[in-house]
Amino acid sequence: MKLTYRLAALAALIATPLPAFAATINAVMYKNPQCSCCESYANYLEHNGFKVEIKPVNNLSQISSDAGVPADLEGCHTLMVDGYVVDGLVPVDIVKKLLAERPAIAGITLAGMPAGAPGMGGEKDGTWTIYAFTKDGKAPTVYATE
Amino acid sequence: MSRRAFLAAVAGAAASASMRGAHASAVDERQIKVAPGEVRLNGAGGPSTAVWTYNGTVPGPALRLRQGQPVRVAVENGLDEDTTVHWHGIRLPNAMDGVPGLTQTPIRPGESFSYEFAPPDAGTFWYHPHADSLVQIGRGLAGPLIVEEAEPVAFDGDLLWLLQDWRLTKDGQIAGGFGSMMDASMSGRVGNLVTVNGQAQPDQSVRAGERVRLRLANASLARMMALRFEGHRPVVLAIDGQPCDPHEPEDGRLVLAPAMRIDIALDMQGDPGSRHDVIDDFYDGLAYRLTTLVYDNASPIRPHPLSAPLALPRNPLPELDFANAVHQEIVLQGGMMGGGKLKGAGGMMGMTMPGMNGGAAWAINGMSMTGDGHAGMAPQFMLERGATCLLTMRNETAWWHPMHVHGFSLSVLSRNGEPVPHRQWQDTVLLAPKDTVDCAFVADNPGDWMLHCHVADHQMAGLMTVFRVK
Repeated sequence: MKLTYRLAALAALIATPLPAFAATINAVMYKNPQCSCCESYANYLEHNGFKVEIKPVNNLSQISSDAGVPADLEGCHTLMVDGYVVDGLVPVDIVKKLLAERPAIAGITLAGMPAGAPGMGGEKDGTWTIYAFTKDGKAPTVYATE
Repeated sequence: MSRRAFLAAVAGAAASASMRGAHASAVDERQIKVAPGEVRLNGAGGPSTAVWTYNGTVPGPALRLRQGQPVRVAVENGLDEDTTVHWHGIRLPNAMDGVPGLTQTPIRPGESFSYEFAPPDAGTFWYHPHADSLVQIGRGLAGPLIVEEAEPVAFDGDLLWLLQDWRLTKDGQIAGGFGSMMDASMSGRVGNLVTVNGQAQPDQSVRAGERVRLRLANASLARMMALRFEGHRPVVLAIDGQPCDPHEPEDGRLVLAPAMRIDIALDMQGDPGSRHDVIDDFYDGLAYRLTTLVYDNASPIRPHPLSAPLALPRNPLPELDFANAVHQEIVLQGGMMGGGKLKGAGGMMGMTMPGMNGGAAWAINGMSMTGDGHAGMAPQFMLERGATCLLTMRNETAWWHPMHVHGFSLSVLSRNGEPVPHRQWQDTVLLAPKDTVDCAFVADNPGDWMLHCHVADHQMAGLMTVFRVK
């Protein structure tokens, strides 16, 4: 019985695609104290292997600007994770891709609050462009589209 | 106003102000120069911050005027951009209201403008620019304006705290990024340092047993405040300069939105030598100490608190005529999480961020008037002179908005269907998300008047309208 169970568990383990990171990934989210969408996004991350510490701040745009997020590409909150900045409602697969690839950038951002994005309601109604940015003044580049 | 009309107004005011005696007809002359300056917001040892000032100080000098007595304030513009001065809450002639394009040509760099009026109401007011106001107020331009009662009101002390909120960089300079779309479409440019009369967390020396009148004025761009006086029971005497029935605020918390003023009576019943913090806990998880009441060691100046009545004399506000009132409604729309109801600015839930590229993030009744005021702003509604207007303000957004009406005080009647007690009159009425507030006023002052949110980012990004009194 035990053996059968173990084998079944092993089979399940082999059959299930492993997440890129087995361990919990710690992240800190800076958000406006009066905005609720960001909390849904934090929940979404927590269901996908993250532990998110939420820090309400009143000067979010200053924090994202200091973190290097271009002013015209601000998302609705700023997440600090494993040495990178993830701004806005970036889908978790792209966050994990970033943490696996570890490119030489400051972070990535999905500007605005597009419909259908994680944490938002509604239907996705177009392609999302996730930009990579650095802190050396270079123009942002496309990191991923979805 | 022509000089002749002004002199006529002066004569009228002098005739009615019997208390002023031989000096009644004298015009009180004041000068204000607007210019860059340097201040230390964190005390003598802190960094020097480059700011914009009235007469070299932050906040600007306290203008103490007499009720009904004419004043002429010559304002000289030493900035290299246009400015104006808005005398916030004062019921004055439209041409003195300080809105660029709408009520006056802005004061160009190097030029001057004389504002002339006779304040009809005694109370706590303030003055600030109405041109490039997000930047100019954000760089420090604000000053208190106190109109003293014709008959002095007895307190042991008359204190004023003008509260300013600064967004500073790590080296103590004013951060850039004015008008960021995130600020514009969320809660506005809330800062990271709050000052009381230009100083962060200054001790306030008080004496046991005294009763002080404390005038609170929130001159922030965007920061809402909810003040608690530990160990004390403040009594609200007036809101926005207009006396109300004295009352203790709900939960002992004084909610003070940008541009609002509250006068309180504070009986200093702490022990000699004790300290009591004043806490602002408006934002969840972001409470901080605003300042501290520090009692000296002297024994109480009187053995028991005063039992004298607290009510301030009422101001000469016009009588409301509900039987013949006209009804107007304004609906506040837009912002983040706004459900995409803002026309012509991209949906909030769509790919376009409201407020992006300086565009509108907000609207009133479907119309976004952006900026600080300009020529050709079409009135949202018209009122016959003398008519009583029942004004309903409905906030459809997910954000807080202190709505400021120029030129009038509003009798606040009800909030979400519940009567508002204490006979409150306000020029800045705070609407919580989804709130509906009913107010009334008499349209006794002709002109085009502004009605806008006093979160400066919100005003700049479309939460503004104009009405005309014929």
